[in-house]
Amino acid sequence: MKNKKQAWIFGYNKQSKSIAASLVAENFIITIIENDEKKFQDALSDGYKNSVLIDVTEDLELEKLDIKQNDWILCLMQDEHLNVFLTLSLRSYCTCNKIVAISHSIYSTQKLKMAGANEVIDIYQVSANRIHSIFEKPIVTKLMDNFISTTHEISFKEFTIPKNSFLDGMVIDEVDFDKFGVIFTGMIDKELGNEFIFAATNINHKLDSEDIIICIGKDEDLAKFEKYLHKDIR
Amino acid sequence: MFSKYIVKLAFGLYNSNRYNNTKKFFYDILENPNYNYKKIVDIFLIILIFSSIIELIYSIKNSVPMWMHIFDYYIVTIIFGVEYILRLWIHGDMHKIIIKEYETSQFLKSKFNFYTTLLKVLNEKWNYVISPAAIIDLVAIMPTYREFRILRIFKLLRYTKSIGQFINVLKTKRFELMTLFLLLIFLIGTAGVAMYATEGNINKNINSLFDAVYWALITTSTVGYGDIAPVTTIGRVISMITIINGLVLIAFATSVIVSAFLEKLNEIKDNRTIETINKEGRFVIICGYGQMVKMLLEQNNFDNKYVILEKDPDITHQITKEGFHAITDDASRHDVLAKFNIQYADISVLCLGNNDVENIYITLNAKSLSKEIKVIARASDQSMKKKFTLAGADHIIIPNQTANIMLLTSINQPAVYNVLHAMLTGKNAAYLDEIKVLAYDKLVGKSIQELEFKTKKLLLIGIQRQNHGDFIFNPPASTILLPNDILLIMGLKISVEHFVNTFQRGLV
Repeated sequence: MKNKKQAWIFGYNKQSKSIAASLVAENFIITIIENDEKKFQDALSDGYKNSVLIDVTEDLELEKLDIKQNDWILCLMQDEHLNVFLTLSLRSYCTCNKIVAISHSIYSTQKLKMAGANEVIDIYQVSANRIHSIFEKPIVTKLMDNFISTTHEISFKEFTIPKNSFLDGMVIDEVDFDKFGVIFTGMIDKELGNEFIFAATNINHKLDSEDIIICIGKDEDLAKFEKYLHKDIR
Repeated sequence: MFSKYIVKLAFGLYNSNRYNNTKKFFYDILENPNYNYKKIVDIFLIILIFSSIIELIYSIKNSVPMWMHIFDYYIVTIIFGVEYILRLWIHGDMHKIIIKEYETSQFLKSKFNFYTTLLKVLNEKWNYVISPAAIIDLVAIMPTYREFRILRIFKLLRYTKSIGQFINVLKTKRFELMTLFLLLIFLIGTAGVAMYATEGNINKNINSLFDAVYWALITTSTVGYGDIAPVTTIGRVISMITIINGLVLIAFATSVIVSAFLEKLNEIKDNRTIETINKEGRFVIICGYGQMVKMLLEQNNFDNKYVILEKDPDITHQITKEGFHAITDDASRHDVLAKFNIQYADISVLCLGNNDVENIYITLNAKSLSKEIKVIARASDQSMKKKFTLAGADHIIIPNQTANIMLLTSINQPAVYNVLHAMLTGKNAAYLDEIKVLAYDKLVGKSIQELEFKTKKLLLIGIQRQNHGDFIFNPPASTILLPNDILLIMGLKISVEHFVNTFQRGLV
């Protein structure tokens, strides 16, 4: 059984409610941190029993939270200034953690990145990009909608190559992905760092266990591929 | 019996496509400001007006060649005459009035009264005949008094928007200007009578009341020709008072006109912006300005074929200074969207404000004007999606939902997130593009195997079959490409561009 991952969500609002629910569905242990009594009560009444009410601007109180190195931190405070301040405070003592933040303005996106967030999702940039695609690339938009919708048929999926699987030790060119009905789009070669290597660059990489490959395909084909990938062939 | 034929004729005209199309054509070239060819007709008529005026000026001191006289007296007059008749024709529909009257009489089971109907028809046409524009048109074609032809210059009012706008601005201050005019008449009259009474028998240049009123007008206007001047002390005092009054009146009139222009300046600018965009065959109307709009226009300014409708004049002022095409107006009002060239242009409406109620209202407003208008609306959350779909929105953007999915992907599938993010932001590393197979290019009839996508460092994700509307994901190597197919290709931007150049621009 997989170890449960822990995510700390700072700020309980309409947006974080939906994110928290999705993460619970993905088997995450969620802790909601709020500095507002009413929102804290909301979180408790929504079933997040281990919610915490603290003053998020106080470093001492943040340190008491006992955030582990592999835990995810989500900065979703509605007040943009507070969100940037919080990101900076958390980064100062959670040096290895992945911090993801949502930005509501182009100005705070840059500030959140500077404050140390690993990923910043700019809510308006993402939507603006989508509108641009609707005009310029309608088919691409349809497909992308499919990828990011919850009711997709075709999607992207990443697979970590297990040791002794059929891909372990093979060179990309030797693998017939067509056989599984999926398209190999790229990989992260752990030997070369964490850079994404796009498939079409035609560099013939050797696949090793723990490398990550990314495929696109119909959900059922991806599931079959995953099942086959996890077979121990040695 | 006669009325029966008239009704029959009215129905005949109502059902005649040729008649309606012809009338529509003349309406478009004479009256429809959004019709491209109207401009050509306007320019032609402006040239005729100027040629006629030039001929008139030239003929005062010179003998005019016969051909020039014939051209001005007959050709230009006939053309203006035809124009007058056409404008009279396209003003209202006589046959529709007849049909309406006939149907009313049938419904009420009363007798169809031809003469009452005829009066209604004539009344409608008469309303046009007595309109200022029609009177100028009529005077311009009357050949009786040659000097009258100078009045043709007033026809320019029809064709030049600036003069028309100037008059419209003055109309808004009609009351103030009329008050000033009456005051002017009173002052000139008083000063004239006073001068006549004072110097009528002393001043040799004042021989009648008309001379005194003429002097009062010339003095009030501060022109002062000097042909009539006061010769007594009282006369000079009257002159001084008249001059001061004149200065005050001129200052008042100037300030009224200037303030009218200042008040209307933004409206004039907005109308110009709408007129300019209406000339485009395809454009985008963006309702509401915010960060999303700013970001969108930074990456796609739609070749400058867009206009932002913003309710807050301060925001409009600010973004206009930043170089955006914006006007102050409320897109939820029916008449605002109706100002755009809905009939001829391919219009997309973006409702990107943060108020769902307003966005839905604008969506319905746009769709009620024309189903052809493409609407992209922003919704606050998933629960609103159904309402927007019912309202007819073609695409619905839910910023929170998209951001949430991206955030969850970044946690659950960080590598996929990188790819998606790169594709959504158009980063070079993973460029996802669509290539349309044109009927005449080299791609038609080729199999996927032959195109060797892999060798060209490209990934073929799928094919959208235009004719059947199916999306074929990961198509088999034997699939043959057909005209109008759309290939969905992933690769570096440079690879995609090279592929397009190779097969669609015949470079290889």
